[in-house]
Amino acid sequence: MTPSVSPQDVNAIRISKVSKQYGDYQVLKDIDAEVARGEVVVICGPSGSGKSTLIRTINRLEEINSGAISFDGQNIHAPMKTHDLNQLRSRIGFVFQNFNLFPHLSVVDNVSMSPVRVKGVARDIAHDKALLLLDRVGLVDKANAYPGQLSGGQQQRVAIARALAMEPPVMLFDEPTSALDPEMVGEVLAVMKSLAADGMTMLCVTHEMGFARDVADRIWFIDAGQIIEMATPEEFFTNPRHPRAQRFLADLRH
Amino acid sequence: MTGFDLSAILTNPEFVAMLLHGIEMTFVIAIGSWTLAMTLAILLLALRFSPGRFGNAFVAGYVSYHRNVPTLVQLMLWYFGIFTLLPDWLTYWLASHNAEAIFAIIGLGLCQAAYFSEDLRSGLRSVSPGQMEAARALGHGYISAMRFVMMPQGVRNALPPLINHSVSLFKNSSLGVVIGASELTHAVKEIENLSFRTFEIYLIGTLLYLFFSLLIMAGGAYVSMRADPATRARA
Amino acid sequence: MINDIVAIFHDYWLLLLIGQYPNGPLGGLANTLILSALSIALAFPLSILLALARLSKWPFLRWPVTVLVYVTRGVPLLMLILWSYFLVPLLTGADVPSFVTMLTTLVVYQAAFLSEVVRAGIVALGHGQMEAAKALGHGYFGAMRFVILPQALYNMIPSILSTFVSTIKDTTLGYVINVPDLTFAASQVNNQLLTQPFQVFLILAVIYYGICWSLTHVAYRLERRITRRRAGLNGVRAATVIAPVKIISEQL
Repeated sequence: MTPSVSPQDVNAIRISKVSKQYGDYQVLKDIDAEVARGEVVVICGPSGSGKSTLIRTINRLEEINSGAISFDGQNIHAPMKTHDLNQLRSRIGFVFQNFNLFPHLSVVDNVSMSPVRVKGVARDIAHDKALLLLDRVGLVDKANAYPGQLSGGQQQRVAIARALAMEPPVMLFDEPTSALDPEMVGEVLAVMKSLAADGMTMLCVTHEMGFARDVADRIWFIDAGQIIEMATPEEFFTNPRHPRAQRFLADLRH
Repeated sequence: MTGFDLSAILTNPEFVAMLLHGIEMTFVIAIGSWTLAMTLAILLLALRFSPGRFGNAFVAGYVSYHRNVPTLVQLMLWYFGIFTLLPDWLTYWLASHNAEAIFAIIGLGLCQAAYFSEDLRSGLRSVSPGQMEAARALGHGYISAMRFVMMPQGVRNALPPLINHSVSLFKNSSLGVVIGASELTHAVKEIENLSFRTFEIYLIGTLLYLFFSLLIMAGGAYVSMRADPATRARA
Repeated sequence: MINDIVAIFHDYWLLLLIGQYPNGPLGGLANTLILSALSIALAFPLSILLALARLSKWPFLRWPVTVLVYVTRGVPLLMLILWSYFLVPLLTGADVPSFVTMLTTLVVYQAAFLSEVVRAGIVALGHGQMEAAKALGHGYFGAMRFVILPQALYNMIPSILSTFVSTIKDTTLGYVINVPDLTFAASQVNNQLLTQPFQVFLILAVIYYGICWSLTHVAYRLERRITRRRAGLNGVRAATVIAPVKIISEQL
């Protein structure tokens, strides 16, 4: 599945001097980072470090207090018409920790509904496309089932298919396997790995260090609202520079 | 008639007296029926849990009747119906002791007892059964476990619907006007007939009801807050 | 006693059923049911609008609806009926039949109560559904139309039915403004017979009991079926969505 991106966009996502606070509490402090087209970035860090908040600011599910985040050349946090924001969002795929599938729609309808209603795709075309995507994530035989009848791992794979149905050039993952029983983590990570292998631009918040080591091009380590370290997996896992990163990795290995 | 003039009612001593009497009657009916309802609800709850099938069936039937027959019709059945079946001496006694208010209290009290007992019952049911097991494991008997572990939690859970139904009970006191009780709505209609200032007196009546209803709701919220150990610890 | 009751029923069943029609307006049980059904049919769409207004981010939409909800919760229905009886002819300038006045009152009253049910249903769905819809590019109304409302309203079906039952009970208050309904018909029977008030009102109570009990039973069966279906769609969450909803609809 090839991402559809205009060739002149070398950087798919650019985060410039982004800060966010809740009242007195500074959640994100002056974050500067870029994700290049086709790159896979893993964001990790201790809980409360702001990593979920950061990824949610990228499709503006969270607002920021200062700075800019540009996707595809456009600042997503600039004042804009709701319609334009919706259009921009439809081009950023987002996978939630809690899947958030629509329980009143069948699996195939979950995947096909938004291309029809948001992008105006013809219903039969969207339906066929949905079946193809479900096949891709290994769930085409569940097309007419309902989310409540699926396991957590199956639901998350449907959620990935649902996001892919909008043909986004970029996919964001917010702790996609954290809510799953351990035996189901593998099937979801397998789908994510195949997406990466196909060249999808991906930004993942995750604790799955095996995934990071195998697939990530870069790792951003966040603590207390700042990106403390940006490194390749090799550098990060064998030779973390920052003491807090060293401590984080040590805790993970216990 | 001419212009909006609240003082036409509020400065008229006769009207104010009527209003005050109406408020007094409303409170008599509300408090009387609330007390009756709550007492009866606890008895009904005990009857529900009594051994044998009769208790449960009786309470189920009682609740079913009072929830499916409109409250107004229940009051009519009491005052226009049962009243006439009573022996003469009782009829005379009631008639000279404000029968309308008494039947309003009886009718509303019996009706709300059904709702209160169901609220208490579902409050009790929502207490996790593990609580009972833990109490028994510690050596409590059934009654002791109910008294110290289950009921306190059950009542706490039941507070929101109990408060809602208490407000309903207060508002239902207005139904007394249909059977001739001289409560607030009755006073409002009387004053309207005498003064022709419909808008003003309706406004006063509405504001009075609203004020007292909100007072009950606020009081209930306060009681809820105090009953919740999490907030009590903070206070 | 029983013979009396059977006799009364035998003589007056038509009056109780349709009132004085064709010698007067339609009345009796038929009118009660028509009034109730019409009120719910009109109150339901209104309640959705009120709920959305209450959830919106604009104060000028939120405040009036919040006031309306508190007024209907704090003021007896009887008082509201008196207000309508006074205001509706005044505002429309015409001689309005008591049926219409009662209908207006009931629509506003039930819509205010139902809007709380809709609101609770929407809130119970949680942020996740709205976020997922927005992340896919849906706007607010698109999300409401395709994701939020279908779920919230389907969960509301038992509640609508039990509000219908409540409305049937509320119609009895039309008695004070002489709406020709079942209660009015019964009082007419009583005024003719004069010596058997207990029997007449017992019949009245039994008829209401029969209707309300049957409808409540249907609502209960529907709720069981919805809970079972939703448990398949939604895990355990379904039960908690429906439970708080029933309590709010108990009014009278």
